[in-house]
Amino acid sequence: MTTTTEPTPSQAAAMRHAKAKDRKKSSGRLMIFGFLSPTLIILLFMVAYPIISLISYSFYNFSALNPHEGYKWAGLDNYSYLLSDSALWKRFIFTGKFVFVCVSLQMLIGIFVGYQLQKAFRGRDVIFTMLMMPMMLSPVVVGFLWRYMLNSEWGVVNYLLSGVGITDVGWLSQTTPALFAAAAADTWMWTPFIILLATAAFRGIPDTIYEAAEVDGASPAYKFFRLTLPMSAPVLFIALILRLIDSFKQYDLFFALTGGGPGSSTETVSFAVAKLAFSYFYTGEASALAVILLFIIIGLSMILVRHLNKMGEKY
Amino acid sequence: MAAVSRSDTARATRIFILALLTVYVFFSLGPIFWLAISSLKGRADLFAMPPVWIFDIDTTGYESVFGVGAAAGTASAYGVTDALVNSVIVSSIGTLLAVLLGTLAGYVCSRHDFRGKGDFLFFVLSTRMLPPVAVLVFYHLMFARLGLTDTRFGLVLVAIFANVGLATWIMKGFFDGVPKEVEQIAQVNGYSRMYAFVYLVLPMVRGGIAATAGFCFIFAWNEFAFASILTTTDAKTLPVKISSASGATGIEWTQIMAAGVVLIIPVLIFFYLIRKHLLMGMTFGVLGRN
Amino acid sequence: MAKVELKNLSVEFGAFKAVDDVSLTVEDGEFAVYLGPSGCGKTTTLRAVAGLQNATQGDILFDGERVNDQSPSERNIAMVFQFVSLYPHLNIRENIIFPLKARGMPNAEIARKLDWVVGIFNLGDELKRYPGALPPGTTQKVSLARAVVRDPAVLLLDEPLSAIDEQFREEMRWELGHLQRELGVTTIYVTHDQREAMSLADRIVLMNNSKIVQVADPQSIFFNPNSEFAGNFIGSPSMNFIDLSPVANGFRLGESKAVLPTEAVPEAVRGAARPIRLGVRPRDVQLLAGPGTVRVDLPIEDVFSVGRERYFTFRLGDEIAQGVDARTRRDADTAINLRPEGLMFFDAQTGQRIAANGAVL
Repeated sequence: MTTTTEPTPSQAAAMRHAKAKDRKKSSGRLMIFGFLSPTLIILLFMVAYPIISLISYSFYNFSALNPHEGYKWAGLDNYSYLLSDSALWKRFIFTGKFVFVCVSLQMLIGIFVGYQLQKAFRGRDVIFTMLMMPMMLSPVVVGFLWRYMLNSEWGVVNYLLSGVGITDVGWLSQTTPALFAAAAADTWMWTPFIILLATAAFRGIPDTIYEAAEVDGASPAYKFFRLTLPMSAPVLFIALILRLIDSFKQYDLFFALTGGGPGSSTETVSFAVAKLAFSYFYTGEASALAVILLFIIIGLSMILVRHLNKMGEKY
Repeated sequence: MAAVSRSDTARATRIFILALLTVYVFFSLGPIFWLAISSLKGRADLFAMPPVWIFDIDTTGYESVFGVGAAAGTASAYGVTDALVNSVIVSSIGTLLAVLLGTLAGYVCSRHDFRGKGDFLFFVLSTRMLPPVAVLVFYHLMFARLGLTDTRFGLVLVAIFANVGLATWIMKGFFDGVPKEVEQIAQVNGYSRMYAFVYLVLPMVRGGIAATAGFCFIFAWNEFAFASILTTTDAKTLPVKISSASGATGIEWTQIMAAGVVLIIPVLIFFYLIRKHLLMGMTFGVLGRN
Repeated sequence: MAKVELKNLSVEFGAFKAVDDVSLTVEDGEFAVYLGPSGCGKTTTLRAVAGLQNATQGDILFDGERVNDQSPSERNIAMVFQFVSLYPHLNIRENIIFPLKARGMPNAEIARKLDWVVGIFNLGDELKRYPGALPPGTTQKVSLARAVVRDPAVLLLDEPLSAIDEQFREEMRWELGHLQRELGVTTIYVTHDQREAMSLADRIVLMNNSKIVQVADPQSIFFNPNSEFAGNFIGSPSMNFIDLSPVANGFRLGESKAVLPTEAVPEAVRGAARPIRLGVRPRDVQLLAGPGTVRVDLPIEDVFSVGRERYFTFRLGDEIAQGVDARTRRDADTAINLRPEGLMFFDAQTGQRIAANGAVL
C-alpha cells in the first residue's frame, strides 16, 4: 500500500529553486553560445580552412602558376628539402635574433615609458597621443622612411652621428648593422603598443597600494619590482605574446627597408616564404615553410600561455 | 599633491629618468617630423648633405599621390577619392565588427567557464599567428570562387578575421578587471544579465574598447597584403592605390613620404575622436579574478 | 612611541584651505580621535602627519623633532587605510612581513615578529590565504597586523572600520582599543562616527571646516561642548536647539508660547547682551517630573517605545524636537520636564557656548 505523497513545502521550494537555476543556467548557456558563435564561425571559415589547405599544399609539389601541371604528391619532400637547406637555417637564426632583440627592447622601453606616463601631469594626454603615432604608420612607409634616414650617403642618422664622432656606418650594407637597423625600425614602430597596454595596466593599480608601501618603507625600486610588475604581469604577458607573434610575421618592414639584402642576409623566414611563393612560385615549398613557421609560433605561444594561466590562478 | 620629497639621490634619479624619457620622446617623434618635412622636399633637397631644414616647398610628392598638378592625367589621378572612401568604409566597419565580436567573446571567456574554453582562446589567438604571405594565394582562389574578389564586403571580412583575435584577448583582459559582483548585484535587484552587461559592465571597460578599436583601426587601415591581392579596381583601398602609383622610376621618395603623411591623417583623426575614452577608467585584470 | 605635535599646520590646495592653522599635541601613548563631518579636514591632517601630504605651512614634530621634510618611510609610522590596501598578489603572511622585508630586516627577526603578531591577532590559520578570499573584517585585522608588526612610533588609522558590518565593527572596536592599550603606541584615528570616537578615544579632536572646534576627552566633550556644533555633533540622538527671547518672567522658547522660567537660566547668562539659544539633549527632556526638573508648557506629541526607553516628540511652533525618557514608568505628563543640569546656553549668532559663569567657551 504505497501512497503518493505531496512534496513537503521545503521540497517544493527546493524544486522551484532548482528550476530557476536551470532557467538561469540555460539562459547563461544561450549567452555563451550566442556571443561566441559569430567569432567562431568567421574564424573557422577564414582561418581554419586556409590553414588546412595550407597544410595540404605543403605535401604537394606544385606551383600556383601552373596549377594544372604537376599536382604531384611529394609527401614530406618539401619539408626535408627545406630543413636540410643551410641557408634556411641561417634565416631561422636571423629571424630568431631579430625577434629576440625587438621584443626585449620593446618590452623594456614600453614598460619604462608606460610607468612614467601613468600619473597625470600637464600635457600628459597630448604627449601620450603623439607617442602613439609611430604605430599608426603603414609598415611599408616605416620601412622606406628608415631606409631613407639610414642611407650612408644622404641619411640624416649618419649626419647626426658624425656630429658626435661616429662616422661611416653602413647601416644597410652589412648584415649585423642591418639587423639593428631593422630592430630599431620595428622597435620605433611598435613600442607604443606596449606603452598603451602597460599604461592601462599600471593605472589599474590603486594609489592606496603605493601609499601603503610608502608608509611601509618601500623604496621606489622595491615598489616597482615587488608591486607594480607582479600586479600587472598578466597584461604585460599578453602584450609580450602578441608582440612575439607579430614580429615573427614581420614582412612589410623588411621588404621596404632592406629588400632582404644585402644579398639575402636579412631575409626572415616570413620573407623567404613570400619569395618562394611569389618570386619562384614554388607554392608547395612555400606552404611547407609557412607550416614550419606556424608550428614554431604555436609552440612558443603555448608555453607562454600556459605560464599566463598559471599566473592568473592566484586571484 | 606630492608626497614629501627625499634625498639627493632621489632627485638625481628623477632627473635621469626625465632625461631618458626626453630621449625617447625625441626618438619617437623625430622621424615623424622628418617624414613630414621630407614629404615636402624637392629632389635636390631630398638628397642634400648636410640635410636641409629650410627649403622651398615642393609638392610633387603630394601631387602624384592625388594625381593633380604635375601628375594630372596619369593613371594615378583617377580613383584616389574612391580609394579613400573604400578605406574608410572597410576600416570603420571592419573595426566596428571586430571590436563587437571580440568584446562579446572576451566577455564570455572572462565570466564563464566552459569546456574547451582554453582551447577556444588559444585557437582565437592562433588566428593571429598566420603570416599573410602564406595564405595569399589560397585567399585569392577562395575569394575568386566565392565571387568576393574586388568587393568591399570581402575586405571587411578580412579586416574582421585579422583583428578579432586581438580584440578578444585584450577585451577579456579588461573584463577580468571588472569584479563579478557588479552583475551579481544587478541580478539580485532584478535586472537581466544582458542589462547588466550593456549598462553596467560595458561603461566600465570603455578604455579597453577604445584601445582595442584603436589597434584594430590601425591594422585594418594599413592592411596591404590582402588588399592588394584581393582587389582590382572597385574596392581598392588607399594604401594599395598609393603604392600602385610608384615604382616606375625607382624609389619615389617624396611620393612615399607624402603617401605616409596622407595615410596617417585619418588614423590621427580616429584617435583624436576616441581620445577621451582611451585613458579613461582603464583597469586591466590586475585586481580581478579570472 | 612618540609625542606628536602640530604647530599652526595648514594644508592648502590652491585657494582651498583643507586644514587651517591647526595646533595640537598628542601625547606619547595616547589614543587621539580626529572626529568631524566629511570634508572637515581630518583625513588631510592625518595624511600630513603621515607624510603623504605636504604641509603648506606650520610644523609637524615627532618627539620635538621637525619631520616636515621627512618621507613617510623615514617617519617610522604605520597606517591603516579606509579601503583595504593589502597587496592582493601576496598572501597574508607575505603581506604582514612586507614592511619588514622592505626595510631589509634579517629573516630570523622577521620570523619572530611574525609569530608575535600572529599570536596577538590570532591569524595562524589565515597565513596562506590571499586578501581576495577574506571577509572585510579579517582584512582590516591583517592591515592592522601589518601596521603593528613594525613597532611604529605612531599608528595612524583612516576610518578603518567604515567598510565593515555593524556587528563586526563593535567587536573590532573593542579589540582595537584593547590592542592600543597593550601596545601603548601613540595612535591617531580618523572617523566621522561619533560613537566610535566616544568609545575609543582618550581625547577627541573635533574638527569642522578645516579648523579644530574642541579638544577634550569624551566625557568633557559630551557634558561640556564648547559650541553648538560640538553639542550637536556629539551624542545621539542629537541635541535640541531652541531660540530664547527674553520676556517678563523668563525666556520664550522658540516660536511657542511656553516660557522657560528665569531661575532655570544661570544669572551670568541671563545678563548677556546677546541673543541666546538653548541646547538640551533629548535625554534631558523627560515625560514626567523628577527631582529638580523644570516643567515647561510644551505639549508632548507622539510617544513611542524603543526597547526600554520611550522616545517622544514635542512641538515648538512649527518645529518638532525630541526627548528620550529612560525610566520604565508608563505614565506621562502632558508637558515636558527639563533637567536643569542638561541645559546649555549658546550665543545664537556665533554658536559659542556660554558657561554658567558667563564665560564664553
